[in-house]
Amino acid sequence: MQKLSYYLCAIIAVSFAISCTPSKQAEISERPKIVATTGMVADAIENLLGDQVELKTLMGPGVDPHLYKASQGDMNLLANADIIVYSGHHLEGKMIEVLHKIGKTKPVIPLAEYIWENRLQRSDDGKGAIDPHLWMDIESWKLGVNGLSDTLQKLLPNKAAFIAGNFKTYKDTLEKVSFEIELAIGSIPKSQRVLITSHDAFRYYGLAYGIEVKGLQGISTVSEYGLQDVSNMVNFIISRKIKSVFIESSISSKSLQAVIEGCKSKGYNINIGGSLYSDAMGPKSSPVGTYKGMLRHNTQTIVNALK
Amino acid sequence: MSINDFWIILTASLVALCCAIPGCFLVLRRMAMFGDAISHAVLPGLVVAYLISGSRASSVLLLGAAITGLLVTFIIEFIQKKMRVQNDAAIGITYTFLFAVGVILISLFAGQTDLDQECVLYGEIAFVPFDTITLDSGLLLGPRQVWIAGGMLLILLVILRIGYRGLYLTTFDAGYASTLGVSVMLWHYVLMGMVSLATVVSFESVGAIMVIAFLVGPAATAALFAKRLPWMIAIAASIGVLSSIFGYFLAVVLNASVSGSIAVMIGVIFALALLLKRFFPS
Repeated sequence: MQKLSYYLCAIIAVSFAISCTPSKQAEISERPKIVATTGMVADAIENLLGDQVELKTLMGPGVDPHLYKASQGDMNLLANADIIVYSGHHLEGKMIEVLHKIGKTKPVIPLAEYIWENRLQRSDDGKGAIDPHLWMDIESWKLGVNGLSDTLQKLLPNKAAFIAGNFKTYKDTLEKVSFEIELAIGSIPKSQRVLITSHDAFRYYGLAYGIEVKGLQGISTVSEYGLQDVSNMVNFIISRKIKSVFIESSISSKSLQAVIEGCKSKGYNINIGGSLYSDAMGPKSSPVGTYKGMLRHNTQTIVNALK
Repeated sequence: MSINDFWIILTASLVALCCAIPGCFLVLRRMAMFGDAISHAVLPGLVVAYLISGSRASSVLLLGAAITGLLVTFIIEFIQKKMRVQNDAAIGITYTFLFAVGVILISLFAGQTDLDQECVLYGEIAFVPFDTITLDSGLLLGPRQVWIAGGMLLILLVILRIGYRGLYLTTFDAGYASTLGVSVMLWHYVLMGMVSLATVVSFESVGAIMVIAFLVGPAATAALFAKRLPWMIAIAASIGVLSSIFGYFLAVVLNASVSGSIAVMIGVIFALALLLKRFFPS
């Protein structure tokens, strides 16, 4: 017993001795390694820097950021990155604390936290936490990308002009998509402009493009929904004669099934309008594998189902 | 093999050692699921800590979790002793009750907030190397979790050294212990306090699944072979460390979750030990 304790103490002492080495600041190389947390963030970086950087994404297509689990390789990516960009406002959960720590030794940029305070929405009529799904409103996300572009220009001064030019192009594209969405949603009859999804990811989308949004689950995909939530939703659907509800690509559709069954038992048939991309984008090479593609797909699906 | 790999393996090993000590007593006392119970039962503590402080910073929530962890111990003990309910039933009813209270509290008061253990309490061992302590002089002291787990291990070793006789007697023969004037209650609470603190603090550094696996797996494997308590603790500790090392390399090969791989390795070692015992009974 005693011997064991001595060995343990020795191991601890040795490891602490090894650990006491001075810290060093990393230099940014010619082709910097950038790590993005979500696909939406990665899309912005790709559009700003193209193949001038080595870009890696932690949460790939279809990965729900609320439920993301790091792999051993992710640790190495973060350790070897020159710059890390994340979304922020608690989207990445406890990982944000880790990112803040890494921020002491290398640039760590929170894209969504560049967005102006007055564009942020809180849950629970303003009392709750900030809703992190800011990419759903292109105008807001653009502000975030603007902040990212400014910061990247400072960090990579010899690419500054390149980034500034690319930002302008990206901004123009986004503005065009934003306008398209506004027109498309506007073509849905007013009484039918209701978007019912499994969790509250579309608050900003609804505000920006004028469609009422109802989520069953709250901001986090892990929170439970109550029986009352389901029956309220059923009554709401029947009273408004809503045609479709929508599932989300990165979450199970089980909760919405309850709503659909509930409607059926009251003699009202509601169908699933399609699958929307909310917290993660689609497969890389497909049209929904880009930020604008994802928003276009969502809008098209909503319009087709509700019109 | 970089320094980061070393930190992760070291943290896992230290947590393994922290868990092996109380884990052996838990297995011997047939309370193996206590760690799992605590991992669920801390939820209301988290919610209350969040509602009072309005912040999701982990220091505040950790305090709430630690207090609930101790509370769980007292409730289980109370139900078991005063109400004469069986041990496993007492654990089962207590943690499901507290977890359910937590779920209700969330949907009542914090329904729109991203608040659950997974998101705010459980750490990710893969990120341990990034959470370093740096002194003002620029001296890098290594990951915070290594210090926390190391400190926790020292405390546990000191308690084990001082309380070995009491823990030993009350674990194997409570009746005999009380005739000798050793307080069964006292040592029970000492052990449970050790478990609560060790688990809650380890949750924060390495996540829940690894802590629960470390608490039960190595101790259960050691129980197959060891004839005496010190050996059991030593074997459990070695198995914990071996699982950390092999589990980490499994994670490297598969590029998978580190804590998942280590927990799998603990299960694999237990299965191998079972086979070994089956074919070489001596």
